[in-house]
Amino acid sequence: MKANPRDVLTGVHYIDGDVAAGYGVLAAGCKFVAGYPITPSTEAAETFARVAPKGNAMFIQMEDELASISAVIGASFAGVKSMTITSGPGYTLMMEAIGFGAMLETPFVLLNIQRGGPSTGVPTKTGQADMMQSRWGSHGDYEIIAISPDSPQELFDYTIKAFNLAEMYRCPVMIMSDECVGHMTEKVVIPPAEEIELEPRRLYNGPPGEYLPFKPDGDFIPKMVKAGAGYNLYISGHVHDERGYPVTNEEFKSVYLRRLVDKIRRNKDKIIELKEENTDDAEVIVVSYGISSRVAVRGIEKAREKGIKIGNLRLVTVWPFPDEKIIDLAKTTKAFVVPEINYGQIAFEVERCCHGRANVVLVPHSGAGVHNPDDIYDAIVFAAKEKKKIEGIVEYKTKLEKLVFEGGFKLKE
Amino acid sequence: MSPIINAFAQGIKKSGVKPAEVCVPSDIPFEPNVVKQLGVDYFHTIRGRAIVFGTGLKLANPALKVVPVVGDLMTLGGNHFVHASRRNMELLVICVNSFIYKKIGGKSVPSTSPVFSLYSTFEEPFNIPHLGNSCGAIYTARWTALHTDELVNSIAEALNKRGLSVIEILAPGPDYYTGINNIDSNLVKFYHKNSEIKNNEDPRNVGIMPDENIVVGKFTDKERPTFIDVYNAQLSKVIGDKFTPYGPVPTSRTGAGLGTGKNESGGKDG
Amino acid sequence: MAEIRFAGYGGQGIIKSGIIAGKAASIYDNKFSTMSQSFGPEARGGACSSQLVVSESKVLYPYVTKSDVLVAMSQEGYNKFESELSEEGILLIDEDLVKHKPPRGKIKIYSIPTTRFAEQLGRKIVSNVVMLGFFTAVTNIVSYEAMKKALPGSVPEKALDLNMKAFEKGYEYGKQKVKIK
Repeated sequence: MKANPRDVLTGVHYIDGDVAAGYGVLAAGCKFVAGYPITPSTEAAETFARVAPKGNAMFIQMEDELASISAVIGASFAGVKSMTITSGPGYTLMMEAIGFGAMLETPFVLLNIQRGGPSTGVPTKTGQADMMQSRWGSHGDYEIIAISPDSPQELFDYTIKAFNLAEMYRCPVMIMSDECVGHMTEKVVIPPAEEIELEPRRLYNGPPGEYLPFKPDGDFIPKMVKAGAGYNLYISGHVHDERGYPVTNEEFKSVYLRRLVDKIRRNKDKIIELKEENTDDAEVIVVSYGISSRVAVRGIEKAREKGIKIGNLRLVTVWPFPDEKIIDLAKTTKAFVVPEINYGQIAFEVERCCHGRANVVLVPHSGAGVHNPDDIYDAIVFAAKEKKKIEGIVEYKTKLEKLVFEGGFKLKE
Repeated sequence: MSPIINAFAQGIKKSGVKPAEVCVPSDIPFEPNVVKQLGVDYFHTIRGRAIVFGTGLKLANPALKVVPVVGDLMTLGGNHFVHASRRNMELLVICVNSFIYKKIGGKSVPSTSPVFSLYSTFEEPFNIPHLGNSCGAIYTARWTALHTDELVNSIAEALNKRGLSVIEILAPGPDYYTGINNIDSNLVKFYHKNSEIKNNEDPRNVGIMPDENIVVGKFTDKERPTFIDVYNAQLSKVIGDKFTPYGPVPTSRTGAGLGTGKNESGGKDG
Repeated sequence: MAEIRFAGYGGQGIIKSGIIAGKAASIYDNKFSTMSQSFGPEARGGACSSQLVVSESKVLYPYVTKSDVLVAMSQEGYNKFESELSEEGILLIDEDLVKHKPPRGKIKIYSIPTTRFAEQLGRKIVSNVVMLGFFTAVTNIVSYEAMKKALPGSVPEKALDLNMKAFEKGYEYGKQKVKIK
């Protein structure tokens, strides 16, 4: 299905990432956004509120984030594509409902413009420290999809992709962007509507009496219907059977819960998008995502100039994690360098997959800024020179940390 | 619960609304056969979010009749009730007040009458009709589960109201607390016997107090623009003639009811 | 690659200047540009800045590390960002608003009375566009044609003529200044 020309602001724009995401939401055919304003994501919601009437879509500012995400799940069951937009503290408030949405196999999208954490953190500056939360934040076993754009253009493109994935796999899809990308203004090219491919809601068309809301078809994904259309739905957050009725015994649970996890795990190859460059014969490979992957290229280019055989693996899809890819690369490469704006989240996933075959060097960052590319370069040089295998993870000390902790740097405003 | 379910079923019938168009988000676990009998769509949501889940359903498809059925209205999600009333969101909120959490062994809730809780909750309970009314709800009523006819009438009437209606139902809880304070062993009878019908009573005067009769009745019934009315008015003012009002379209099984007003493409994506 | 910092106080159109120059560079000059604005405490209290990176290839690092050009429209902006300016950099100031120290290294200073010019044209509010004209003539980072194309749509339509005049005024003044130097 193609996008509706009415929803697509075709043309060349000079806009920030938040605005690009707002345009992307409309182009994706989303008809319902509920949100509660929070820096630095507010502009995305504002943008959608402004353009929504064009597409006969609805934006509502709810009383809080718990209300927002619950309304989004409700709207999705009424048959429309829906999403919410938030950042750190709001994201935490949404966690219970995210698990609920996953349990109900609800297609919806969540845009998290990450800011510095924890708690209120640094609202106006960047961070990448919600990555593990996006995967594990709600209780119980479930799987979600998370993608991480690195520019306003990608915030437009991948917002559309996020909606498509949500419909294909009937699960919450997180766009894990960050303040730097959200507030960065760049050229964004919005193509004509006929060049935007959308995934329609996969609706059940059989007789109502035979409809089973959680009976999967070939690729593990059940078809949906719209609420109020005569299917006498029973939808519950309890572990449920194909009819949606609660079940409690372990055999039932193992059958129905297994599929919730398998529908993502077994479709991994189709879901995961990576950008890979010169990894074949690399001695060191930089693994990164979002804004860090962009900043890392400067360090990578510098290392290449110095003659280091350096590869670049950018995780566009962060969850599900590309285990097989890392396992594969660990057989040939000497080390991975993982820059991320936190004190180690995805680096530990890389280490898990390496299984001691290659060293893993974390280039940490506390947030409220992006990496100094020289730190990434230095870590690459270190990783390339290091001959022995180092167990666990190597946390590389950045210039800023050296300055603050060893250089007698005096903190002043 | 069963007298309430019966009243609900009869109320839907009397209202002329098709059960298939009724969506019931609820944080109370319904039995599947009950949902089958009612013929509605049922969503067992997480605690306290029935009203906002319902808000999403309603706004995504304004043709739906959304009836959040909640147990403990004023704890988790109490703020949602306040805001839904303020917005005059088109929902019929049914608060089944049994005064105790049945499923977890009889813990009391904040709207528990002190009569029922000897040790834990001795505070004054919420006056739900008054709260709803003062926040902007257009229709408020309270009945016990034994006021069957009145309850059916209220449900039928409220289902056709444009805006937020709230009906509080005092329901029989388990017999767990009977015997306390000389309460009759059959709680539902106790409610009925100790209630007094005062239609059109000022909701300020209908608080549930120990040693006083429980006031039941239809208290308020007024008109106010709904959320969607206000939304359309505001956006027409801002955008002008180009604005297409947001509103309901008829539902049908083929999905034409995908509720985005004159949106010609939205419903055909299946 | 060029790193540019616009600094001033709120209401001067500092962010807008970054957007117009960035838009001109990336859309009409077919270069790459990334503009970031200051948020948070430093954006309040009157002080305001935006940073623009213009490059022939994709901008990787989005922030200014060592600016090639500092456009200072307020004393506070000058004080705060002067140290960030490269020793071969260019400093553009509103001469009525900013008093500068003797330049470091090979820094070149160009001054213009933007606010005065804007007032002469009729509205003080276009002083940032006068500065953009001046910036275009002096630095050559963004072409004259691109800037002229970027103005419509970036400024209120009914004030477009005034803005175009303001731009020309700054541009002409800049051309003369460059000749003299």
